[in-house]
Amino acid sequence: MKNDRPLTISSWPKAILHLDADAFFASCEQAIHPELKGRPVITGKERGIVAAASYEAKAKGIQRGTRLFEVKKICPDAVILPSDYETYSLFSIRMFNILRRFSPDVEEYSIDEAFVDLTGLRRSFHGSYEMIAKTMQETIEQELGITVSVGVSLSKVLAKIGSKHNKPHGLTIIPGRDIHLYLEKLPVGKIWGIGSNTAAFLNKFGISTALDFARKDEAFIQKNLSKPYREVWHELNGRSVYPVTPESKDGYQSISKTKTFTPPSTDETFVFAQLAKNMENACIKARKYNLAATRIIAFLRKQDFTSSGIEMKLSRPSAYPAELFTPLRKAYSDLFEAGTLYRSTGVILSGLIAENSVQYTLFDDTSKIERMSRVYSVVDEISKKFGKHTIRHAASLPTQIQAQHEGERGDVPQRKTSLFKGENKRQRLGLPLLHIKI
Amino acid sequence: MSPVTVNEKKLQSKISAIRKFHEKNGRMPSYSEIGDLIGFRSKNAVFKLIDKLQSLRILEKDKKGRLIPLSLINPVRVLGTVEAGFPSPAEEELVDTMSLDDLLIQNREASFLLKVSGDSMTGAGIMPGDMVIVDKSQTAKSGDIVIAQVDGEWTLKYLRKRGEHVSLIAANPKYQPIKPKNELKIAGVVTAVLRKYK
Repeated sequence: MKNDRPLTISSWPKAILHLDADAFFASCEQAIHPELKGRPVITGKERGIVAAASYEAKAKGIQRGTRLFEVKKICPDAVILPSDYETYSLFSIRMFNILRRFSPDVEEYSIDEAFVDLTGLRRSFHGSYEMIAKTMQETIEQELGITVSVGVSLSKVLAKIGSKHNKPHGLTIIPGRDIHLYLEKLPVGKIWGIGSNTAAFLNKFGISTALDFARKDEAFIQKNLSKPYREVWHELNGRSVYPVTPESKDGYQSISKTKTFTPPSTDETFVFAQLAKNMENACIKARKYNLAATRIIAFLRKQDFTSSGIEMKLSRPSAYPAELFTPLRKAYSDLFEAGTLYRSTGVILSGLIAENSVQYTLFDDTSKIERMSRVYSVVDEISKKFGKHTIRHAASLPTQIQAQHEGERGDVPQRKTSLFKGENKRQRLGLPLLHIKI
Repeated sequence: MSPVTVNEKKLQSKISAIRKFHEKNGRMPSYSEIGDLIGFRSKNAVFKLIDKLQSLRILEKDKKGRLIPLSLINPVRVLGTVEAGFPSPAEEELVDTMSLDDLLIQNREASFLLKVSGDSMTGAGIMPGDMVIVDKSQTAKSGDIVIAQVDGEWTLKYLRKRGEHVSLIAANPKYQPIKPKNELKIAGVVTAVLRKYK
């Protein structure tokens, strides 16, 4: 088999761009604290582990998930900051809005990743896809002060290979005739959508690189692989299967809320309060998107990082904590071991369905449910006006007796302490704050 | 509330119903349609209303009795001259207003807030403790107030360009103009200053 034969000769039947922000959280911090540019910056102080590391820190061998006390040994001059999710979200929204100036087809894939369909835009921008991608990259860099890596190719899978090809601050354009050059050295397991098990399976057939996989004949693919992998195979060959879906996130498969607290606790009421607060937060998010959960998962994590959890199936979908506390309490009493130190709790709402399609069972007290829905619509209304958790359940109140993180980890982002007159703990202006002393 | 204003309000809501119909359909409503809009059962009541509106020069009738809008589109002035009270702006007039956000922020994606701590721009009305809005997308011109990094130090100053020469000028006689020796980096242009008293 000749490996220098192009996979396809059509250069741009479609042009899909994938954009991935470089060390996003750390970059946001460097953008609002310009004195940190060029220095190793780490976020995640409140969690005790690295949530994001700037490229300067990565160069010194720090990876996501490294414990902070190790960081201090490896890289004593690292700047360790508490996560400021409010600022990161503002940057994220801005990044997507800038992309929408170029094309309406922007898919918000995650907080720091996006797909954009550029097909057909060359004429209106009077230039190549490369020029459009470069302008996007430069605009984000100038207006937000963060760098992004960009890949443009014929399909989502290929665009993603492009954006990863040269990080940070890379721009990789893969036209049809060049696809094989990029797949040649790429291990098959590094392809988006192919996990380690599938990679091991493919290895058994002598497929080790992405190019081996792409060149396999359709009969083999049909015979041996299921639909998702057949789709990846098409995408690798430059035939776009996955569309860019521009709807902003309005649906979720599941909603998960986890919080660590410092110091760890053995207190039964306090740990349950943490769990209850996660439940409240998850339900607030579910109600915001008019969703209701059919299953809930509760889990506790001990100080030694082992965790245990229970999944429960609900008789009727719900997003009202007052209803869900009963099964939650039951699960908790099964999970909680007295005398054990716990460091975090979490709740996952899964099997989410649209709230208006909820079917009542024969034994449901519909008037009670009706009342509950009225109560929560008022709670949500009040929260909108005065901030989240203005009205809360008594079960989560004990979380208030101590800060989420006491001691050094208790540092809160500057955004939450340097308030402008009129701002408060719960509501602040929707613009990122620059921390420059002038 | 005095009876005059109550009547005025009632009248205004009737006019606004007719106006909305006109906006939506691009024509004046018929008598029976006005009856439906306002809730009059009898055409006679509609007839009386039309008479009144005609005397207020809000609309008029052509030879065949069809309605022609006169000042229906601009009700503020008319109501002001006739009914004693102040003209009250109708909702439609608010369409072209802008929020404080729109006024203060030109490019939302590129705007940041910055709290001022120094006194180098007091002469320009920027006091310690004020918030400034900084736009990172604008190219700084001579005379703009900028956030700049000069030889490693951050500062808030007027930017002055004279040909090749660039300098930063404070709005406070305490500070000398700065002429960058090595490097001048401009982080953004100040587009507004905010100060909240209460």
